[in-house]
Amino acid sequence: MKKRVGITGLGVVSAVGNSLQEFWDSLIQGRDGTKEITVFDPSAYRTRIAAEVSHLDTEAHFSKKEIRRLSRCDQFGLIAFREAWKSARLNQDTFDKERVGVVLGAGSGGILSVEKYFRDYYQGSRKASPSLLISYSLATTTDHIAIESDLKGPRTTTATVCSSSSASIGVAYEMIQMGLADVMVTGGSDSLCEVSYSGFSSLKLVDPENCKPFDKRRQGLVIGEGAGILILEELEHALRRGVTVHAEFMGYGICADAYHLTAPEPNGEGVERVIRIALSHAGVSPDEVDTINAHGTATPFNDIAETRGIKRVFGEKAKAIPISAIKSMVGHCLGSAGGIEAAATVMTLKTGIVPPTIHYEVPDPLCDLNYTPNQSIKKNARIALSNSFAFGGNNVCLVFKKYERG
Amino acid sequence: MKGFKGPWGRGSKCITLDPLSPRVLEPYKAMDHRVVITGLGIVSSIGVGKEAFWENCLRGVSGIKPILGFDVRPYRSRLGAQLPDIDFKAFIKPANLRRMDRIGKVVVTSVRLAIDDSGLNLKEEDSGRMGISIGTGLGSSDTVDQFFRSLLRDGPLGAAPLLFQTAVPNAITSHCAIEYGIKGVNITFSHKESSTEMAMTFAYHLLKEGKADVIFAGGGDELSEPLYHVYSMLGALSPGRGKGVEGMRPFDQDRNGILLGEGSGILVLETLEHAKKRRARIYAELAGAGLAGSTNGLLRYDFRGDSIAKAMSLAAEELRTVDYISAAANSTPDLDVGEAVAIKKVFGKEAKKIYVGSLKSMLGEFDGSGGIRACALALSLYRGTIPPTIGTEHLDSRCDLSVVLGQPRKQEIRSAILNSASNGGSNISLWFKRYTPS
Repeated sequence: MKKRVGITGLGVVSAVGNSLQEFWDSLIQGRDGTKEITVFDPSAYRTRIAAEVSHLDTEAHFSKKEIRRLSRCDQFGLIAFREAWKSARLNQDTFDKERVGVVLGAGSGGILSVEKYFRDYYQGSRKASPSLLISYSLATTTDHIAIESDLKGPRTTTATVCSSSSASIGVAYEMIQMGLADVMVTGGSDSLCEVSYSGFSSLKLVDPENCKPFDKRRQGLVIGEGAGILILEELEHALRRGVTVHAEFMGYGICADAYHLTAPEPNGEGVERVIRIALSHAGVSPDEVDTINAHGTATPFNDIAETRGIKRVFGEKAKAIPISAIKSMVGHCLGSAGGIEAAATVMTLKTGIVPPTIHYEVPDPLCDLNYTPNQSIKKNARIALSNSFAFGGNNVCLVFKKYERG
Repeated sequence: MKGFKGPWGRGSKCITLDPLSPRVLEPYKAMDHRVVITGLGIVSSIGVGKEAFWENCLRGVSGIKPILGFDVRPYRSRLGAQLPDIDFKAFIKPANLRRMDRIGKVVVTSVRLAIDDSGLNLKEEDSGRMGISIGTGLGSSDTVDQFFRSLLRDGPLGAAPLLFQTAVPNAITSHCAIEYGIKGVNITFSHKESSTEMAMTFAYHLLKEGKADVIFAGGGDELSEPLYHVYSMLGALSPGRGKGVEGMRPFDQDRNGILLGEGSGILVLETLEHAKKRRARIYAELAGAGLAGSTNGLLRYDFRGDSIAKAMSLAAEELRTVDYISAAANSTPDLDVGEAVAIKKVFGKEAKKIYVGSLKSMLGEFDGSGGIRACALALSLYRGTIPPTIGTEHLDSRCDLSVVLGQPRKQEIRSAILNSASNGGSNISLWFKRYTPS
């Protein structure tokens, strides 16, 4: 029998706030986290902005030795994890560590550290410490989290990049369904690095000003960074512990366009399919969907394909569904985008507020839905979707429901 | 719209839409399907294709040789199990070939071999009910390195977009989906040495639940210079810092670290119902998956056997059907001894009746080795033969198991276990059974 799964903990590190509350307050106020890049020298680039995490007091969280040893990605992941863990009250409870697992999504992972090593190495210097290479594996942040809290349940890392942490939430859900875990730590962490920045830049997918999803003037994404960690818990287990259930996770869909290595399938057929699969697995009808947290990268093609896909599923009703693209504020956090957006989706259900898509001024006739422009709105949403799409036409859609007792 | 246009640019040629299959949209009901293996695709250092691989595997031919293609003089180690030169044109459409980097070609070829071996006619299949689940440590580690070096050399404006799009770890999975029109489940895992076993676990569970008909599961990795450099700098490679002889010798008292390998292996996993309908040859049944974490350090192996117990749900009568364990043992003290002790703990007195072997002795160690090792295990079950473990001469007294050394062993196998263990502590065991119709 299908087990019901709730979200009992959330933690966020992002360009607009280094805790869940700060992040959420910024989102509903429509704050933009875009700023000039400081983690590497952007002067040679066409664009010099990113939604970089700032004002993070790492010394309050880690010892000096840990700061040397942990990549930026590990640090974000651990800080968000600690917040989520604490809010799920797992630090105070007795629970079976064998039944708690970790599945994170990864994008560039700790490549920032690896770049540092190889930059020195290729320039003939042997100064860089080989310990930077520990971050070569995308699994490093996942392992750090499990080791820190001695979690002995299932552990893995998904690597579909832009949809990684949404996929990881799906995988975590399946681990609970398989009966291998009661609690799963999931979501993702990612940090800025030159490889991914120059990569998106070389594909001319980066907007030089800011991220304007669904706006006619959009020129591409703004890269972001941060972590979004969710604690997924078998509902019975959560109720027995008497902890707050922020929302229920109903199911997910994952599928492929099988179309092109970077561009989405233009008619939105892949988007339609993934939303329909997610709804059917979740046992939810399209009529019940109240809001959508869009992938909304502000690349010319994604936004059209996503709009078309949503219209193909919801028909005329599509225009009545408030859609928000928080990448306009937190940027595209690649490996953690899905986790951060899932946290926002859960908060939408919990607080009854849909965050806005900011920088929205000039409507695009090809993107003609309600994108919640510039101002957050009140809506007592019961069912919310969160979309994530990745290179290669990898599509994920998550279905969340407001938690109602009984 | 300025900038990179991808396929949308060229006169906006719209593709014709596949009508959505009604089966994809059926309200989902959890089922309990049996999951079987119906096809094998192997690209390995000891053979491309099932038969070439199996012949060498049984003869105990090692893929480990002096490394060619990059200069290993700066390193203490010089051996690795590299793939032979492969004529990829024989397997992949030429137009698609030029978009792929080497590991992309290797993985797509292994999927091609698996499809051919399974007898699946893709045109008759419901594309939305076919999926792909791939595990890889780093995917295109060589492409990432090339891209990074082009960035260092030419600055950001010289960075090559075509390299970047294949540099992402899931590019190999996307190549397969595009090449074969696989429109269902699409996922990539990267968790060190348990990456491919996770890919198979996920596929197994989805098939069991009826969320797909067929999933291509497995994966692989390439042995690139940057990867070799990283392993070497982290001190993982044989012969280590001691005076020992370089080599892979799992369970041997003189083991001294790993040697790297490369390759890709794909299983065609299918619901029994679907396999029967198309009268497919069934190699074996995938009957369980167990996952367990250990927390003994970021770079340490710590295999404790609980993943085996979980894969088999601890049923005593089923534990007695295990005749063969394809071990994760990789010629490191931590893992070889840990795994041997764990096997003795789980199986107790019965442990010595179980034949044990590690194919890493021929293939080398790499994150995505589980794909090829799973294919070999399916062949062992189907043909009743266990390949030898090579290189091992003096069994460590703590590893006193029935390790098949030197010669292959004819042995009817009722059920078998495939183990994996990643440094950092993700352990996965898969339980395979000989297929019996009832």
